[in-house]
Amino acid sequence: MKKFILISLLFSTVTFVFGQTFTQSGVVRSIDGEELIGVSIIVKGTTKGTITNFDGEYSIQVNPGDKLQFSYVGFVMREITSQVGKTVVDVEMAPDQTTNLEEVVVVGYGQAKRLTMTGSVSSVSVREIQAVPTSNIQNTLTGKLPGFFSQQRSGQPGKDASDFFIRGISSLNDDGNKPLIIVDDVQYSYDQLQQINVNEIESISILKDASTTAIYGIKGANGVLVVKTRRGETGEPSINLRVESGLQTPIRKPVFLNSYQTALLVNEAYENDGLISEIPFSTDDLEAFRDGTDPYGHPDVNWYNEVFNPVALQGNVNLDVSGGFKNLRYFITGGYFSQNGLVKNFSDPLDAVNTNYFYRRFNYRTNLDFDVNDNLNMRLDFSTRFMNINEPGSMNATGEIYNFERMTPYSAPVLNPDGSYAYLDTKDFRPTLNARLANEGYKRSRRNDINILYGAGYKLDFVTKGLSANLRMAYSTIDENFRRVSRGSSGYPTYKFHPDAVDPLDIEAGYYTINPNQVYAYSTYGITSGVDQALSDLNIQASFNYARVFNINHDVNAMLLYNRQSRTHENSASVPNNFEGYTVKTGYKYKNKYLVDVNLAYNGTDRFGKDNRFGLFPAIGLGYTISEEDFFPNETVQMLKVRGSYGLVGSDAAPGDRYLYRQVYEMGGGYYFGENPQKYDSYREGAIGNNNVTWEKAKKLDIGFDVVALNRLSFTIDFFHDIRYDQLVTRYDIPLILGIGVSPVNVARTQNQGFDGSLGYQERIGQVNFNTNLVFSYAKNKVLYKAEAQQRYPWLAETGKSINQPFGYKFIGFYTPDDIALIQAEDSNAPAVPNTDTPVQAGDLKYQDLNGDGVIDDFDKTAIGKPNLPTTTLGWTIGANWKGFSLSLLFQGSFDYSFSIVGTGIESFKSQFQPVHQKRWTLDRFNSGEEIDFPRLTTIPSTVNSAEGYMSDFWLINAWYTRLKTVDISYQLPKRNLPAYINSMKFYANAYNLFTITNYNKYQQDPEIRTNSAGDAYMNQRVFNLGVQVSF
Amino acid sequence: MLNSKFFKAMKKNKYILSLLAIAVFLFSACTDNYENFPVDQFTNSYFFSKTDSMGVQVRQFLNSIYDLLPSGHNDHGGDYLDTATDDALSIKQDDPDVYKLLVGRYSANTRIRPAMEWSRYYEGIRQVNVLIDSIEVVPIILKFKNVDGEEKALNHTIKAEARFLRTLFYFELVKRYGGVPLIHDKIFKLNDDLELPRNSFEECIDYMVSELEDIKMDLRSVTMADNTEYAHAATYEAAMALKSRILLYAASPLFNGQTISTTKDEQKELVGYTDYDAERWKKAADAAMDFIESQGHKGNKSNALTKNFMAIFLSYYNKSSNPELIFFRQGGKSKTVETKNGPLGFSGNALGNGRTNPTQNLVDAYLMKDGKLRGESTLYPYNPQKPYENRDPRLDLTILHNGSNWLGRVLETNQGGANNPTGSAEYTRTSYYMRKFMGNFGATPEYSNNQHLWIIFRYAEILLNFAEAENEYLPAPSKDVYDAIIALRERAGIEKGSDKLYGLEPNMTKSQMREVIRNERRIEMAFEEQRFWDIRRWRAAEDIFSTPLRGMSIVKSLSSVTYTEVDLVNVVFNERQYLFPIPYSEVIKNSNMVQNPNW
Repeated sequence: MKKFILISLLFSTVTFVFGQTFTQSGVVRSIDGEELIGVSIIVKGTTKGTITNFDGEYSIQVNPGDKLQFSYVGFVMREITSQVGKTVVDVEMAPDQTTNLEEVVVVGYGQAKRLTMTGSVSSVSVREIQAVPTSNIQNTLTGKLPGFFSQQRSGQPGKDASDFFIRGISSLNDDGNKPLIIVDDVQYSYDQLQQINVNEIESISILKDASTTAIYGIKGANGVLVVKTRRGETGEPSINLRVESGLQTPIRKPVFLNSYQTALLVNEAYENDGLISEIPFSTDDLEAFRDGTDPYGHPDVNWYNEVFNPVALQGNVNLDVSGGFKNLRYFITGGYFSQNGLVKNFSDPLDAVNTNYFYRRFNYRTNLDFDVNDNLNMRLDFSTRFMNINEPGSMNATGEIYNFERMTPYSAPVLNPDGSYAYLDTKDFRPTLNARLANEGYKRSRRNDINILYGAGYKLDFVTKGLSANLRMAYSTIDENFRRVSRGSSGYPTYKFHPDAVDPLDIEAGYYTINPNQVYAYSTYGITSGVDQALSDLNIQASFNYARVFNINHDVNAMLLYNRQSRTHENSASVPNNFEGYTVKTGYKYKNKYLVDVNLAYNGTDRFGKDNRFGLFPAIGLGYTISEEDFFPNETVQMLKVRGSYGLVGSDAAPGDRYLYRQVYEMGGGYYFGENPQKYDSYREGAIGNNNVTWEKAKKLDIGFDVVALNRLSFTIDFFHDIRYDQLVTRYDIPLILGIGVSPVNVARTQNQGFDGSLGYQERIGQVNFNTNLVFSYAKNKVLYKAEAQQRYPWLAETGKSINQPFGYKFIGFYTPDDIALIQAEDSNAPAVPNTDTPVQAGDLKYQDLNGDGVIDDFDKTAIGKPNLPTTTLGWTIGANWKGFSLSLLFQGSFDYSFSIVGTGIESFKSQFQPVHQKRWTLDRFNSGEEIDFPRLTTIPSTVNSAEGYMSDFWLINAWYTRLKTVDISYQLPKRNLPAYINSMKFYANAYNLFTITNYNKYQQDPEIRTNSAGDAYMNQRVFNLGVQVSF
Repeated sequence: MLNSKFFKAMKKNKYILSLLAIAVFLFSACTDNYENFPVDQFTNSYFFSKTDSMGVQVRQFLNSIYDLLPSGHNDHGGDYLDTATDDALSIKQDDPDVYKLLVGRYSANTRIRPAMEWSRYYEGIRQVNVLIDSIEVVPIILKFKNVDGEEKALNHTIKAEARFLRTLFYFELVKRYGGVPLIHDKIFKLNDDLELPRNSFEECIDYMVSELEDIKMDLRSVTMADNTEYAHAATYEAAMALKSRILLYAASPLFNGQTISTTKDEQKELVGYTDYDAERWKKAADAAMDFIESQGHKGNKSNALTKNFMAIFLSYYNKSSNPELIFFRQGGKSKTVETKNGPLGFSGNALGNGRTNPTQNLVDAYLMKDGKLRGESTLYPYNPQKPYENRDPRLDLTILHNGSNWLGRVLETNQGGANNPTGSAEYTRTSYYMRKFMGNFGATPEYSNNQHLWIIFRYAEILLNFAEAENEYLPAPSKDVYDAIIALRERAGIEKGSDKLYGLEPNMTKSQMREVIRNERRIEMAFEEQRFWDIRRWRAAEDIFSTPLRGMSIVKSLSSVTYTEVDLVNVVFNERQYLFPIPYSEVIKNSNMVQNPNW
C-alpha cells in the first residue's frame, strides 16, 4: 500500500513555481520518532504537492501563507501554514486513533477496509494493548472493543485470564456461549489463546454479526475473536527489545477482625443461641486478647498478613527481529514472562520446596514468508510456548484464610516460642497455614504448546486475472503435565505450647505437646506426576480466492474454502472431534458506494448423528456509503455509511456427552456376590439418545451506522437483535416415571439484543495531540422458551427471565421483637416463619411470604436481582502526547449486574469475622437505630440467616464498578540524543487496575469475582510496571 | 531461485497444481489413524447378544437392577431409617436427614432420599422392562429347577427375577405414596405421552399380586445349586414373602378402613381402598399360612427360624444353620456397620462412631425373661437401678447399654464414662448404642470384617405377618396366632413358663393380642426398616408420638450408679405424613398427577 501511494504520487505530482516562493523542507516523523516514508504533502486548494522520501524528508516550493496538508494513511492529517523565513519545518504526525477511513481490519479468512465493510467488527491494534501489564490477551481487551464483555475471576498467576463473551450470552448451555477463537485462520482454544504473548500479535478483531461470522457456520454463533500475528516486511532488519518489570499488589486486601473483636462476636453468638453455659471466652480471656499480654495462650494473629506479602514481582522481556530480503520476509520473536505469587517464602532452605504461586512462560515464534517465484509464495509459522504454573499442593491459601472453621485469629500463634510450628486448637488439629505452606509441597504444571502453520499461495492469473489458490496446514499439540511434591499433613511435627504448664524436665521452655495426628520426625516428600492435557489438532484448508476490479467501479471478490479439522484428546478415550465444511464468501462493491456481501457456509461436526451433522449457514450484508455519492458534501462529513446484515449461524457446543444421539450403556457400581465377596460388573442404560440432536442456531440481525466528521470525530453504532433457537437443553417437563435420563433436545429459545459502538474524537491543541474514545456495549437477553414445567406459582418461572437469573427470597427487614412476640402468640397477624427447626429470633432475616401460606419455603423464591454478567460495559480511553511524552488512560466500568457471596466468604462461623459483622443486628443497635448490615449472629449453620441455605436479595448487591484499568506514561527519547545504532528508545511506566470505585465494599471482594462464590478466589492484582523499549 | 525450472514447468502445467492439492488431501486422510466411532462404548446389542449362550452380559445388566434394591445400613444420610421412629435417635445434632423425617420437616419440593425415593424405582421398573423385552434373543443354554423340581431355561428365571424386582419396586412406591402410575411392560420413548395418571391403590395391589403369582413357578427355590454366586437371587420363597407383606399392608388400617381423610374425590381411591373389607385380613393371613405350610416349619421346612438370633444377619442361607433367610441385599465383607455404629470411646480397629442411639422407649419394649412386660412380671420384677437384668435376651443382641460386654470391656455409658464422653462434639444421646447386625465382638479386642447382609425378608416376618392378619380377621386369637408368637419367643430364649405360653396370657382378647403382636414385631425386627412403615400402616403414629422420645441419664458416683430416664424429643405427627408427597416436579410436569392430601 505504501509503495502504491508512493509511486502514484510521484508520477502525479506537478510542481509549479510562483514569485516570492521559497523552498520549505524538513523531516516528517511519527510521534514515536520514526521517519515516515511517502507522506503526501499538498498545498491546500491546489494540485501542487510532493511526498516524503525514504528518509522521511520532503522539500516543496511554497508561498508564505500557503496551507500545507500533510496526510498519511493511519495518521491524523496535519495542516501547517508556511511562513517566511521558516525554511526548515520538521513535522510530527500522530497516529489516527479514530477517523482513519483507510483502516484495514482483520476478518475471517482475510482483511477488509472499514470503509467498505458491511458487517459488524471491532478491532484493536497491538499498539493499543501492549501497555497493559498482564500476561493474558483477554485481559488487555477489556474496555477496548465494543461488544466485548469480560470478567476476571481470579488473580492467581497463570490462572488469571478473564472469561469473555461477545455481545453477552444467548445460550442456556455454558459452553454454548464461548466465542470461537481464530489465530491466523486456525481455531484455538481458550487456554491456547491465553498462552500467546501480546508481542506476537499484530491486531485483534471481534466479529459480531451474521455477515462476518457466517463463514464459520456451525461454530460462529457466539461471535469470533480473530487474531493476526505479526509478519516481516521487506527492509532493513529491525530489532526491538522490550524489558519491563512490575510490582503486583492486591486490588483489595481483606480486613479481618482481631482476636478481641472476634471473641466478643463469638460470645455474642453463643448468647444469642441461648448457649449461655457454653460461652467460650471468659472476661479474663477477653482481657488477654485485648491487651495482648499472653501471645501464646491468647494469640492474636492476622493470618493474611502472616501468609501474604504486600507485593510480588513480575517481569517481561521480549526481543523481536523483523525485516525482509527481496524474496524472504521474517519475523522472529522470543519472550519471557514471569509472575510471582504473593505467598511468603516459607520453604525450608535445606530442601527449597517452593510452595508459592508463580507463573513462568517462554514464547517463541518465527513467521516466514517466501516468494518462490512471481506466482508462488509460501509461509511457515512456527511457534512454541512453554509454561510453568506453581501452586501450593494441598490448599488454596486465600480460601484457608477465609475459612473460620479452619482457623481463627486466636487459634494458634504463628510460631511457638522455640521456633517450632504450632497447630490449631480445633477438632481436627490442623497445622497452622504457615506450617502447611512450609511442609506440604506444591503442584507444578508444565505445559508445552507447539504450533506449526505451513501455507502456500499460488496466483492463477493465467487462468483468470485475480484468481489465486491457497493451501494451509496447521498442526498444534499441547502437552500439559504436572508434578506434585507432597508431604501429608501428618508427615511433620507441630506442637502446642502450654505457657502455664510446668514441665519438670524443662522449666524455662514451658511445655510442648505434639499434634496428636503427627509424628516427631519429618517424613520424606512423595512425588507424583500425571497428565493434565494431551491434545493434537490438525487443520487443513484449501481455498480459491478471487479479487478483481472491473472498469474501476466494480469491485468483485470471492472465496471458496474447504476446511477440515480434527482435534484429538490423546489422554481420554474419546475419538477425535472432527469438523469439516465449505465456505463461500462473495462481495461486490460499486464505486465503494453500494456494498453487498453474501456469505455461505456448509459445514458440520461429528458431534451429531449422521443425518444431522451438516448445516447451511447463509448471511447477507448490505451497505450504502452515502458519503461516496457525488452530491454529498465531504467537507464536514467525511464518511456516512449505513449497513445491515442478517443471517443464520450455528453453535455445535452441546452439554455433556459428545454422543448425545446414541444411547450408551453405562457401567454401574458393580455388585458383590459370594461368601468371599467378588465384584461382579453391572451395567445399565444410559440416557436415552436423541436421534435428532443437532446444532443450535442463531438468527442475527445487525444494523450499523458509521460516521466520520470534521476529520476528528468518529462514531459507530450497531444495533443487534439475535434469536437463538434450537438450543440444546435437558427438558424439565419430562416426568421421572420415564425411568431414565434423557439427552438434551433442541427446543430452547432465547433472545439477545442491544447495541454497541464507539465515539472517538481527536484534536491537536498547540503541541499536544489529544484523542479520546468511548466504547459502549449493552446486551440483554431473555429466555423465550426452555421446556420448563408449568410452575405452581408464576414467580417461580424462569421463562421470560434472563439467562442465569438468580432466584431467592425477598428480604423485607429483620424480625423485630414485636414480630417474635406475635409468632409466639400464634397471632394471625404474625409474619411468616421459615420451615426450619431453629425458631426464628429477633434480628433474623425476614422474607416475604409470596404465596401467603405462613411458611417461608421454596415456593416463596422468586427472581432476585440480575444475572452476574453485566449488561452494560463502558470503556473510556483518553490519550495525549506532547513531544516525546505520551499519556494514556483507560477507564472501564461494568454496570447492571448482581453479585452475592456465600459460605466462607461471609457467613458467620464459616467466614472470618469482618467489619461487616460488627454492623450486625443486636437489640441495642436496633433500638438505637444504628445501621444494620448483617443479621443476628448465630452459631447454627442452617438458619434462615445463612446465605447458602436461604439465598435472598439481602445478600445481593446490584453491582457496578468503574475502575482506572490502565494508565500508561511514556517518554520517547529524541533521536538526536541517541547513538546512531539505536533507532529509538522509549521509557514507560504503566499501571493496571489502579483504582476502583464500586458498591462492593460490604463484601471486601473484587467486583469481577464470580457470584455465589465462597470468597476464596486469589486476589485480583493491581500492577505497577516500568519498562524500556529499544529499537536497533 | 534454487529450483525455478521446476516451477516454470509447473506454471505450464496446470494439472500439477491439482495433483498437489490431491496429494495433500491424501496426506490428511492418512494421518487420521484413529477410529471414528466410540469403540469403548456399549449399546443394547452387547448386553442382549445372540452369541451369549451363558448369559454373562445379561446378568451384568440384571446386576444393576439388583443394585437398586435398598440397603438399609446407615443409608439415610448415614443413619438407619429407624432413627426416624420412636426406636432410636441419630447421634448427629446438626439436623440430620432422619431428624427432618422424624419431625416432618419436608415437603413435596424438599425431599429426603432415600426415604422419599421416587425416580430410583421408576428407573428400576424401566430397566426390568428393557430386560424382559430384549432377553428372548439371548440363547442361554443354562437350565435350573423350580420349586416343584421342573427344569426351566435360565432365560425364564432371569425374566422372572426381574419381574420380582419390579414388583418389589412398585411395593416400595405404594407404601410411600399409595396408588402410583403402573407402567406395565412399556418402554417409553422420548416423545411418548408421559402424562400418566396414578392407578388406584387397589389396582396397584392387584397388579403386584398377579405378577407374583405369574412368575413364582419360573423362579428358583432354595436350596440352590450355587449358593455363592446366586445366593442373593430372588426365589419362589422371596416372591411368596413379598406377597405376604403386600397383602398385610393392603389389609392394614391406613389403607383398609382408616384411610387419610380427603375432600377431593380424585384422591380417595389413591390413598387406599375406598371401603373396609375384613376379608383382606383373611387374604393376608392365608398368604402367610400358605408359606408356613409349604416352605415353612409346617411344610418342607426349607425356611424356619434360625436358632442363633445374631447369625441371621451375618451369613448366607443354609438349611441347617440359617434357614431363616429368604431375601437380602448383598453386602461386602467389611466392618463398616461396626465402625459407624459401634460405641464411642474406642480407637483404631475398634473405632466406633456411635451413630445410632436407641431410645428408652425401645428398651422398655423388650420383655422380661419370662415374656412379661417390664413391671408386669412377678418372677422378674423390674429394678429401675438395674434396668437390664433379667431381660429378653434379644435386648442384649440389639442394644448396647451401660454394663454390656463389648470388645473385651464393660461399656461405661454413664455421663462422662469411657463410652459416653462429655465435652466432645458427639455423645450418645440416650446412653445406648445399636448392637444388632454386628458380629460377635463381645470379647475380641477389635472389629474384623464380617459379611453384612441387608435382610429384606426373613421367616420371622412371615410368622408375625400371619399372627397379625389372623388376629385381625378372627374375633379372638386362635391357637395358630399363639403358636406363631410362641415360636419367636422360644427362639429368642424367653422362658417357657409353667403354662408353656412363654409369657402370653391364655384367652387373650383380640386387642390384647394386637398389642402383643405389635410389640413383638417391634423388638424382633428393630432397625430392619419395619417400624417406620408399621406405625404408619397401623395409623398409630399420632398416638405413638404423643409421648416423648426418651433416653437414659446414668450418673456414676464413687459408691453408686443412678439411672434416670429423661425426655429428649417431642414429635408432633401430622396426618398428612402418613403418605409422602409426590415430588413437586412430577406434579407440575404431569397434569394428570394428583398430589397426596394436604401436600
